[in-house]
Amino acid sequence: MVGIISCSGEGCVEGTISRIATLLVLEKLRPAQTVTICLPLFLAGGKEERAFARFFPTITVDGCQKLCAKIGTERYSGKPASSIVVTDLNGNKNCSTTGSKRKLDDQATSLAEKVAERITQEVDEVLNHWK
Amino acid sequence: MNSTTQNKVVVIPCSGIGKALGTVGREATYEVVENMRKDVTQTTCLALLVSGDEESVQLVQRNKCITVDGCPLQCAEKNVRIAGGDLAASLRVVDALRENRGLKPKSVAFLDSDGQQLTRAVAERIASKVDAILGA
Amino acid sequence: MSEYLQTVFEKFELRVRKGYYYTEDGLWTSVDDPRIRVGVTDYLQRTGGDVAFVDLVKPGSTVQKRTEIGTLETAKTTVSLLSPVSGTVEEVNGMLLEKPELVNSDPYGEGWLIILTPHSLEDDLKMLMSADDYFQLMLKKLETEHKKPEPK
Repeated sequence: MVGIISCSGEGCVEGTISRIATLLVLEKLRPAQTVTICLPLFLAGGKEERAFARFFPTITVDGCQKLCAKIGTERYSGKPASSIVVTDLNGNKNCSTTGSKRKLDDQATSLAEKVAERITQEVDEVLNHWK
Repeated sequence: MNSTTQNKVVVIPCSGIGKALGTVGREATYEVVENMRKDVTQTTCLALLVSGDEESVQLVQRNKCITVDGCPLQCAEKNVRIAGGDLAASLRVVDALRENRGLKPKSVAFLDSDGQQLTRAVAERIASKVDAILGA
Repeated sequence: MSEYLQTVFEKFELRVRKGYYYTEDGLWTSVDDPRIRVGVTDYLQRTGGDVAFVDLVKPGSTVQKRTEIGTLETAKTTVSLLSPVSGTVEEVNGMLLEKPELVNSDPYGEGWLIILTPHSLEDDLKMLMSADDYFQLMLKKLETEHKKPEPK
């Protein structure tokens, strides 16, 4: 079992992409192999979230370079097995200034699917490593 | 997003990813800050705030805040208080659910029609609180 | 020694209180002679979701074993609560009107539902499960009913 920790991402489109990509993996691509860790609850001291992250591998998914999920995970439970940053995958280093944060346009949806595939690859690799 | 513009009410959802009501709270927040009260509201990431991001902390300390929580754990309310935010109102999505009995939003990723209906109800509540805060 | 049998499913800790009696649907009964107290298990509250409404029978009502004593309505579903025993309802948990979330946060404590004076306690208890048996049933349900599907 792998815990996926996504940023909550209200700040930019990439935050929403991070969230949607994570949910695609949790609900469709690897439902039997993954659980979600609620990041605000985890950061705030959520018992179950922190316990899981201590004993099972985690993958963090951040929308932007603020890296809330990655830094929080490292601080409270240890280095994640893998970290993905959406802005690294979209060719920009910064958040997009255009595009709705709510309803993803075609380009953003396509990027969310690409991020989801990337998360899935990381999940498979982590689980193979743990066998 | 994280400007320290004053006199804009800051609406902070919990955005809990594990439950449909977390998505409802998030969507309702966007509905208010991007549409219903877009000139007088803004939002920030709760995770950024909890991480201690200076800009986010100053934002909540310098402006009136409304939190929108998707579950009884109330992460948004608790953490805005801890950050020293000026908490003017804290809303729970479940309270809107109690006023709209029978709605059962199913999916977390993409809201179904019950989820969208509940989102509208929560957005109305947020907007009312904004108006009350600004004395509109 | 812990008061509970417990297991972890995904990231959730699920507990079964020792010394209580259980129905297969997930209601617990604790005996405080001559009365009994009834509530829902950790498993039921966790799988049901965040409780928004608790509707219960009124004090003074007579209930038969396996008849409805109320419902829990959550964001996901509505759960029918069937009485573990026959008896007269003495008290219902009034806190649940304003704070239904107590069922989730403290299912074996402050989230109790009703207190009954049982009519034939000894006979009714024989039909209920022990904590150990319910725990095993819960483990089986977690394995069969809550196992997530493999992707197609």
